[in-house]
Amino acid sequence: MRENDILSGSLLEETWLTLEQVAAACAVEPEWLAHHLEWELFPHVASVAGTWRFSSAHLTRARRMWQLERDFEAVPELAALMADLLEEVDELRAQLRQAGLD
Amino acid sequence: MEFKDYYQTLGVAHDATAEDIKKAFRKLARKYHPDVSKEPDAEARMQAVNEAYAVLSDPEKRAAYDQLGQGYQSGQDFRPPPDWDAGFEFSKHGFSNAEAADFSDFFAQLFGHGGGGRRTGFHAGGLHAAGEDHYAKILLDLDDAFHGATRQISLRVPKLDANGRMALETRTLNVQIPKGVREGQMIRLAGQGTPAQGEGQPGDLLLEVHFKPHPRYRVAGRDVHLTLPVAPWEAALGAVVMVELPDGALKVRIPEGAQNGRQLRVRGKGIPATPPGDLLLHIEVVLPPAVTPKAREVYETMARELAFDPRAETRV
Repeated sequence: MRENDILSGSLLEETWLTLEQVAAACAVEPEWLAHHLEWELFPHVASVAGTWRFSSAHLTRARRMWQLERDFEAVPELAALMADLLEEVDELRAQLRQAGLD
Repeated sequence: MEFKDYYQTLGVAHDATAEDIKKAFRKLARKYHPDVSKEPDAEARMQAVNEAYAVLSDPEKRAAYDQLGQGYQSGQDFRPPPDWDAGFEFSKHGFSNAEAADFSDFFAQLFGHGGGGRRTGFHAGGLHAAGEDHYAKILLDLDDAFHGATRQISLRVPKLDANGRMALETRTLNVQIPKGVREGQMIRLAGQGTPAQGEGQPGDLLLEVHFKPHPRYRVAGRDVHLTLPVAPWEAALGAVVMVELPDGALKVRIPEGAQNGRQLRVRGKGIPATPPGDLLLHIEVVLPPAVTPKAREVYETMARELAFDPRAETRV
């Protein structure tokens, strides 16, 4: 590839990520992700025709949970609870921004 | 290359136990957690803390670092002697190669082996593994979401040198930003992540999109929010006003009797994604100042003739 080549990417959500892709992107074993799905710690991930479909928001959640478990040795349910709270904080911050209060 | 004092980074003594190091790391990981920290340089500090912990929490790396770092002070110019790591075998521990790519050159120089140590490394042949996906945040102007753009980004990526040792290299990429991209979305560039080992597939580059704060527009997903100042008569009587958007001006009808704080939704005029977002206009009624005799007269006439009590509902 030449230095001046322009790269075109694809936007996630038009292209969903599979379980294996999310695991690779988080540098975790696919089993880690499969167990967390089994324990219902990813509430909004849908399975279509037997394939899990992850969005960019799910990827962020997976990375947050993995880092919490690794850095603090958090049990998965606690990491999921933290991820829930962080997602709520994201939502409230977005509302502050919308109201021009950020 | 500057010497990094990892003990200083974690705030622990050189004879700290593994438990002390873990405790210090967790304290700092909490303090600089990028999602909650109020520190201005939280992300950079967290990277430094992760780097220090990656070394000091790993007995092999810590032992090698201790041997090599004797007599060095933080920030001092440092060159590792050739083959300094003979006799050490480093195992991959905790942090991914993609995360380690954010670590310092000092770390890369000392511990930047191909995951399983130099002796079992990349150039040995027969070892093929897919490269990892690499993450980066990209900060865009809102205009880019409306028009699309080409942006240049610089990334630090691990690369093998002639000796099979991994070093960090700065790579510059020109990336086409598709029209309709929105806050928090990821752009995937296939094959632009961490290089593969042997003949494995390279990883992808995932760019997480964020917008620079804009003085007028606020973005929420696909929707664009905008405060729309209106005159009292425009709000009371209704009006058609021009609203400036990144892709041109738009005529918007203010309904009669629009109150301050009311939100008007203009469908399909937000970020031009598929489907497009909405434009949300927050009505802000701005009072003309009563600084001229004429303005005072108009207000006095309203006060006299409208019999308006804005606090009627608060009376008991």
